[in-house]
Amino acid sequence: MELKELILEHYSYQLRENAKAPESVPQFCREMEISEREFYQNFASFDVVEKSYWRSIIKGVIEAIESGDEFAKFSAQQRLLTFYYAFNEAILDHRSNMLTRFKDLDLWKRPVWLKGFEEEYRSFIKRIIEHGRESGEVAGRGKVSDVYPDGFYLMFRSIIDFNLKDDSEQYERTDAYIEKSVKLAFDVVRTQALDSAIDLARFLVPDMKWKSPFSEKASCS
Amino acid sequence: MSEASHQGQKSITSGKLGRSAQLVGTGAQVGMNYLKHYGKKSIRGEADLDDLHKENAEVVYKTFSELKGGPLKMAQMLSIDQNLLPGPYAQEFSQAQYSAPPLSYPLVVRTFKREFGRSPSELFDEFATEASSGASIGQVHLARKGDHDYAVKVQYPGVATSLKSDLAVVKPIALQIMGVKESDVSQYFQEVEERLFEETDYELELERSQDLSQSCQHIHNLRFPRYYPELSSKRVLTMDWIDGTTLDKFADSDASQEDRDRVGQALWDFYDYQIHELRLFHADPHPGNFLVQGQELWAIDFGCTKQLGDDFYYKNFRFLDPSLTQNQEELEKALNALNVLLPNDTDEERRSLMELIIPTLEVLAKPFRYERFDFGEPGFMDAIYEQGEANRSHPTLKKMSGQRGSRHSVYVNRAYFGLYGLLARLGSRINIVTPGWLTESMSPAPVSS
Repeated sequence: MELKELILEHYSYQLRENAKAPESVPQFCREMEISEREFYQNFASFDVVEKSYWRSIIKGVIEAIESGDEFAKFSAQQRLLTFYYAFNEAILDHRSNMLTRFKDLDLWKRPVWLKGFEEEYRSFIKRIIEHGRESGEVAGRGKVSDVYPDGFYLMFRSIIDFNLKDDSEQYERTDAYIEKSVKLAFDVVRTQALDSAIDLARFLVPDMKWKSPFSEKASCS
Repeated sequence: MSEASHQGQKSITSGKLGRSAQLVGTGAQVGMNYLKHYGKKSIRGEADLDDLHKENAEVVYKTFSELKGGPLKMAQMLSIDQNLLPGPYAQEFSQAQYSAPPLSYPLVVRTFKREFGRSPSELFDEFATEASSGASIGQVHLARKGDHDYAVKVQYPGVATSLKSDLAVVKPIALQIMGVKESDVSQYFQEVEERLFEETDYELELERSQDLSQSCQHIHNLRFPRYYPELSSKRVLTMDWIDGTTLDKFADSDASQEDRDRVGQALWDFYDYQIHELRLFHADPHPGNFLVQGQELWAIDFGCTKQLGDDFYYKNFRFLDPSLTQNQEELEKALNALNVLLPNDTDEERRSLMELIIPTLEVLAKPFRYERFDFGEPGFMDAIYEQGEANRSHPTLKKMSGQRGSRHSVYVNRAYFGLYGLLARLGSRINIVTPGWLTESMSPAPVSS
């Protein structure tokens, strides 16, 4: 295992044990028996480690499913479902850390530590939408469909939220929630219902400018 | 592929609140239909009660099938017992088996990975991503390994956990349709609940399927698929894929009278042996649970089974003895034993009950009065429906309270109503053998014309 990964692993261990991020780099290095130089060569700060940690989780899931032998044959909807189920399976290893970080995090908040995670999701969902356009599952109409990734990301966050609150056996209710919300999302993007709703809203409020809730500057948690 | 699988997936409406809301909507709609009905009545002085039931049945059915799981199973259970549910409801609900929407393939994969640690494509050479048919709590996929075809039943997620709250929510509506008080039928609901919980356990179903098919393998023209324990788990059940026609389609086909008799006889013998010999029986005689291939009948679903204790068995089937309805004193004794008559009933209540019970017993036990009975006989099923309607709408019976009868009778009745219904649809002529312990007290049976 590379040093980078070892640092991430120890960081996640610390976060899990103390329910908060480590504060002292020297102490962290002592525990890992590495020099500060080795630490800083890989990460500029704990904030960067934290960001990389969350990014690495989602990245691992995406790489695993995309290399699955059936994935290429799947529709966009099936691909997204596969991602959510694989993600929920993968985060069983990180549930304590998920609870520490996500439990009280508002759905609209976009903390710095979550940036890499969000980027990975967005680039994945863009590929899904692209595939959906080709297969006719996603209707596109200019600028309005630019908000699709925002909507999907919000749905993803709501699935995480649901999962962390779920106390059913094997989180079965989360599975049902995923089936339901993905179905709804694809019904919306297939039929241009969202586009029509926005079109109507614009007509009724002539000077209204469509503004994505995500277009404001990212805020820190 | 069924039409249902083209509709894409819908998942179980989650959360008790969401489900309640959906059902409240149904209640309101049923209420509206009643208003319309009485509106029609006051304008024209007449309205068709059947129309009302039909409209309500469609509304209730639609809601129940959207909720899937427990409510749908309960609808099916009610649909088969003609005594509990008005005819149009029964018709609407009996289609339920074919209409539940499928779950997505990625969720099937997830279920497999959880249960076996491997995906369907790793366990089989081929696995259909679309379900070939839906059932109320699961769906069936066609799979292939080597040159062998398998039917793989996969359960909807969360069915087992949401069942209890579903039933609590659906109960008031069911009571409204049946027009009875909860306290009088709580033992029946309890019985249904227990059976439904058993149905969510595929490990139990596997065991029962193997046992029953083993004990019934001597029955002529009756076949069972093989089951595969190594490819089955709590949520997945794998058996042979059988290419055949469902029993209702076979009944509606131009099959010859000989074939109808042969298939019907296999069905009769199957139930007769289970109920009277094994005392453990397949309690879901839905046409979708049977396939006809060539001249053989295949029993393919053992989700719902019921075991009978000796005590109930002898008390209940005592009523097959035709001399019983001629002997008031003995009949009352038998009815007391089964708690149909209660010790503190008034003479008037007792008299009214007997007035209904005697014709009911006569019509239900009719086939047992013959060595060979023609279920295609017009009027036989009508007489059963009419008696059921008479029992349901009898003014004294409606007012009477107290828990009557035995909870075990729910599934016995269901099995016999279902069996009679299927045989009538097939128009089969059946050789009837009355259980040995009863024949000693009976006179020789005539042959039906």
